[in-house]
Amino acid sequence: MRKHSSVAILAILATLALVISACTSPSPGASGSAATANGLCRPIGDATAEETEAPETAPPGSSDLKIGLVTDVGTLDDRNFNQYSWEGALRGAAIVGAAEPQSIVTTESSEYENNIQSFVDEDYDIIVTVGFALGEATLAAAEENPDIHFIGVDQFQAGDDPVAGAGLDNYESLIFNEAQAGYLAGIVAASISESGEIAAIGGSGTIPPVVNYMRGYENGAKSVNPDATVHLKYISDDLAVAFNDPTAGKTFADQFIQQNADVDVLFQVAGKTGNGVLQSVTDAGIYGIGVDVDQWLSNPDSAECTVTSAEKKLTLAVSEGIAAVGDDSPRAGNVFYGADNDGIGLAPFYQFADLIDAETQSAIDEALASMASGDLDPCQPSGLCYAGEADPGT
Amino acid sequence: MIELLYDIPILGFLFQFVGYLIEVLPIIAPTIIGAATPIALGAMCGFMNERSGVVNIGIEGMMLTAAFVAWWVASLTAQVLPGDPIGPMGMSPALLVGLVAAIAAAMLVSLVHAWLSITVRADQIISGVIINIFAVGITGYLNLLISRSAPPSAGQFRAWDAPAFLADIPVVGWLFDALLSQGPIGLSLLVAVIVMQVLLFRSRWGLRTRAVGEHPEAAETVGIDVIALRYRNVILGGVFAGLAGAYLTIEFGNSFQGEMTNGRGFIALAALIFGRWTPLGSFGAALLFTASEGIQRAVRFGPPEGALGDFLSSVPSQFYSALPYLITIIILAGVVGRSIAPAADGRPYSREKREKRAKASA
Repeated sequence: MRKHSSVAILAILATLALVISACTSPSPGASGSAATANGLCRPIGDATAEETEAPETAPPGSSDLKIGLVTDVGTLDDRNFNQYSWEGALRGAAIVGAAEPQSIVTTESSEYENNIQSFVDEDYDIIVTVGFALGEATLAAAEENPDIHFIGVDQFQAGDDPVAGAGLDNYESLIFNEAQAGYLAGIVAASISESGEIAAIGGSGTIPPVVNYMRGYENGAKSVNPDATVHLKYISDDLAVAFNDPTAGKTFADQFIQQNADVDVLFQVAGKTGNGVLQSVTDAGIYGIGVDVDQWLSNPDSAECTVTSAEKKLTLAVSEGIAAVGDDSPRAGNVFYGADNDGIGLAPFYQFADLIDAETQSAIDEALASMASGDLDPCQPSGLCYAGEADPGT
Repeated sequence: MIELLYDIPILGFLFQFVGYLIEVLPIIAPTIIGAATPIALGAMCGFMNERSGVVNIGIEGMMLTAAFVAWWVASLTAQVLPGDPIGPMGMSPALLVGLVAAIAAAMLVSLVHAWLSITVRADQIISGVIINIFAVGITGYLNLLISRSAPPSAGQFRAWDAPAFLADIPVVGWLFDALLSQGPIGLSLLVAVIVMQVLLFRSRWGLRTRAVGEHPEAAETVGIDVIALRYRNVILGGVFAGLAGAYLTIEFGNSFQGEMTNGRGFIALAALIFGRWTPLGSFGAALLFTASEGIQRAVRFGPPEGALGDFLSSVPSQFYSALPYLITIIILAGVVGRSIAPAADGRPYSREKREKRAKASA
């Protein structure tokens, strides 16, 4: 009898799926298949990625630079920030002909110092640290180790002079103009929206790059449609939830879409959490816009709804930083990447190319040109790019 | 009439809030239930363990392992066994294989926990901690290895199309509709909660489990094999952890990320305590936890009008997030209706000790 009841428990659990299947009719819709795109989404079809031009490389072994990379909390394969910085390090190493770089993946924010120190102890020549959060630790390490060149991704150096930053010769920060990239995404969003109601979901309002993307997006959207309703929402101030929790991102975006049914374009600025946001977009069948990297490529599960992405050219920037060291002309201070040096941009539109009419394309081109020349400030008219304080979370 | 209620000072505020809840709950119910499902399933795993006297804080690790295995095995299988769903709710062969693999993986991890905490009589907290740390490491590492040739995901289970008449039931129709419009894992949670609740209090297995959890020595004297029962329950608990993990990667979502469980296994333990170690109670607790977050989001996405909206919007969002845990602490402290753990929870059972004690008293 005792045996019997335990078998019963197991049987109930194991066969439940079958029981349910017996009393329902098969529902249409294959899962995850590209042929059945929802709503506004479109099957990927023949769209393919363009080949990136391979950079000129030096023969391996022609340089003895040792290159190390410390990631932010997450993984090297996050299909996002860490990954593309890492690819930049790989490409930079190939350009100068150095040995393959080594990486340390940070699992807790308390480990930043130790992880950087491990490369210092091993006499590395170039240490790349990925992410705003590693800024303090990188600055401290750069001050202590003047012989090692530090490249910080997304780490703005405060200082009297915005270009010289902290004034160290061995610390360069790669700063991307997120507001410009967001501005371009906003132009696209407002142009393709039929309802005139669009949204952006950011990880946390305490992270400057996130806020800049969101504000640029709002301004860009208003530039083509002044009457557009632009919702800007932040997920959480808990950074693990904000950037590393796709389940939380999907829950957040699902509910947002349920409560704002008219929104038909959603821009995600939330790292891996944002992959959940894009999944929610895919389920709802509305347009999605990716962030930081070309998410049509990096996040194939949502590619059929991903119209474009607001890109930071991380791979380009990191590899240029390493190449400069290889040329004995290391850069220092804040190195800005924006519209003027191809440091930001929009990813290809792939299967949505015909959605972008001539008018929209010219609006994008004009905005790029005027941002490159400095005539257009993507933080205006709202003037609310990150200014040292957390975004209150609208 | 309703305006009159709303105008009452202070109390009117409360009425307005209830009115707001009535308005938004039907809209946000699917999100709340979706977020509660992995937590409730994790709590069911904890329930199976702790009711028979084994503390399990390794639920988080078991869920993470299962989440990874479900996603990985499903996407591997999809390459060998492609094909359309063979059943309702998008049940493709790949997803079913992934689900079975996830359950098997979690049962295997549970077996390790059982061996450490029952046979070896190791500290059960440490065993759980080891499982959590190990799961983060191994899934992160394997994910790193395979992501270089990232297989496309196998997709996910779809929600059941609940009969339309459910939603038409007055007053509570939305609740039935939201509960039943779920995929196979979400639905099995509902069945499991009810079945386990009945079994716990109305079956021979339930009586024995409770006896072993409260006083294993007494249970042994009446002929219950404490060791075997604990083994069985801990391993069966793994089934629930497996479902919880699979839910994250092949039902609710369709991708795996390192450390994606993000504390849900621990929240499950809080739900278990809050729910007084019963299946129904922990399911309710999980719903309450996620409803608190859901209402916080609802206020931000569409606050109620008037003074109530201003008030709710001015409450920091962190307060809503912390609320369920504040209540858990209050309950643990015994302020409102004390929640008492099974007496033998976390105490390894030793047959020799019982025999020695019996001899000593004889």
